[in-house]
Amino acid sequence: MFKYVIDWMDERIRVRTLWETAANRPIPGGASWFYVLGSTLLFIFVMQLLSGIMLAMYYAPTPDHAYASIKYIQNEAPLGSLVRGMHHWGASFMMVLIAFHLVRVFVFGSYKKPRELVWLLGVCLIGIVFGFAFTGYLLPWDQKAYWATVVGTSVAGTVPIVGGLLVNILRGGSELGNLTLSRFFVIHTYILPWSLALLAGLHVFLLERAGAGGKRDPLQNTPDKAEPLFPNQIYKDSIFILLVFLAIAALAVLAPAGLEPQADPTDSSYTPRPEWYFYFVFQLLRIFEGPFEVIGTVVLPAIAGLALILLPFLDRNPERQLSKRIALLSIGGMIVTGVIVLTIMGARAPVVQAPSADSSSVLAGRLLYGKNSCGACHSIHAKGGVIGPDLTHVGGKRSRDWFVRHFKDPQALSPGSIMPKVMLPENELNELTDYMQSLK
Amino acid sequence: MDMQSLSRRGFMIRTIAGIFAFIGAALFAPLGGFGILPALKKRTPSWSDAGSIVGLAADQPQERRFFETVKSGWQSEKQERAIWIVRRSDNSVAAYSSNCPHLGCGYRWAAAEQRFACPCHGSSFDINGKVLGGPAPRPLDTLPTRIENDRLLVRYEVYQLGIANKVLA
Repeated sequence: MFKYVIDWMDERIRVRTLWETAANRPIPGGASWFYVLGSTLLFIFVMQLLSGIMLAMYYAPTPDHAYASIKYIQNEAPLGSLVRGMHHWGASFMMVLIAFHLVRVFVFGSYKKPRELVWLLGVCLIGIVFGFAFTGYLLPWDQKAYWATVVGTSVAGTVPIVGGLLVNILRGGSELGNLTLSRFFVIHTYILPWSLALLAGLHVFLLERAGAGGKRDPLQNTPDKAEPLFPNQIYKDSIFILLVFLAIAALAVLAPAGLEPQADPTDSSYTPRPEWYFYFVFQLLRIFEGPFEVIGTVVLPAIAGLALILLPFLDRNPERQLSKRIALLSIGGMIVTGVIVLTIMGARAPVVQAPSADSSSVLAGRLLYGKNSCGACHSIHAKGGVIGPDLTHVGGKRSRDWFVRHFKDPQALSPGSIMPKVMLPENELNELTDYMQSLK
Repeated sequence: MDMQSLSRRGFMIRTIAGIFAFIGAALFAPLGGFGILPALKKRTPSWSDAGSIVGLAADQPQERRFFETVKSGWQSEKQERAIWIVRRSDNSVAAYSSNCPHLGCGYRWAAAEQRFACPCHGSSFDINGKVLGGPAPRPLDTLPTRIENDRLLVRYEVYQLGIANKVLA
């Protein structure tokens, strides 16, 4: 039956030749484990696309609902934690593997003529992947998301002359709000996926036009040593893809994506930390201070981007043997080491804990109020639900003892109340009470 | 191919290019403008009541919170604001924006060390907002204030961050 269908199609649209051209595409020098990274990145992209589309089913891109919708995905929707975990860990793997892919192509000298344009598209793809990471970060609208985006977009403000304009365009205004979240959502779910699909397709197409680089030693790339793409290379690709997939799935189950309390623009006690793949930028910000800041935020990233773009045009020596490219490989090695060292330093950087003006227990109580969704029923300063009493001035109305007893058993003190018991340990009840009493 | 059909071919190619250059410009200008122009709208904050200043001790910074009705895209909402206020020895009251002028994190007053400290990148400021250390490129941003019937009125302005000059965002 299958053969009959293929025959029928082949007669009309010549599918066999199409398949054979693709499948028999020769891999110069034979298949290699070094070549699995590109197809694995393509696989992760497809996975991110699918999991992202499914997440968008329950996600609401407005500050009023984003946090609650992610919380629903994470805690209530069946399999939600798994799907979000895969999307989260898929992003991290994308970052790691794209770095490996870059280093592999650099070490093999595969960017050299005739593949300069393939390399250029690869550099664009790295930019797109960073764009994905940066925009995806804000979407949950939790504390980490909010403050990392405040800092991240402010970095654009240090660009000379057009900085201010740039920040406003990025944020959709001077502050983070409805327009910021909606444009980040559109960039993350429409603009970047389409751009990536298009450019990744072109990346593969141009590689096909220019011809794959093969081994470093040209003597290894003779026609008799070539192997077909299918099944030889695809076999290796598939095994590596399986390992990556299992790792992502395992991490999604064992280490679910985090969700901090809802974004609070007035919280001055929160210490934001970026996602690990931005640690090296974070660390650069700590090294270059004051008037030199622009070096860390604009100059170095611009030089890095420019160096990547210009590499195949500056290094026009066709030699690909490692032993004859010592100088360039050492520079590359130093940059890679630098990024790794900065990442480790960023990870270990001490959190500068600024002391709090409100007593710490009031702040802890404020967080508990958010965490336990008290605001679903109660409102403070006109923010929150209308089912329970307004708590804006509750601090002066009741005694400390009343609060604690009321939390433990609301109906004992307010007969007929529908408030559920607050099942928290004694110290947390005290913190919540401190927060209540601070509301005057 | 004679000269006539060649120039006819050239005419068709130029026309095709012209048509799509025109459509491209006529399409992307409004689409781009639609995406960018709403972002450039300036805020027009009005005066907000940041509470009473009766009994405010000199040289003891205090965090104040108040609500300002702001328009965020399609939505008018009550946005909570936090500011720091200090009564100076000459009896004037200064109000500081609660965002560190470096990259916008919230900072706090460390009474023991008599300085404002930002947790993100370690900037610190004295009670007058002057930079004591860290990456901050300028002093804390003072907000326009007015005192009416012993109440502090503040206009919650937002300034561009990360640069040496205080410029409205």
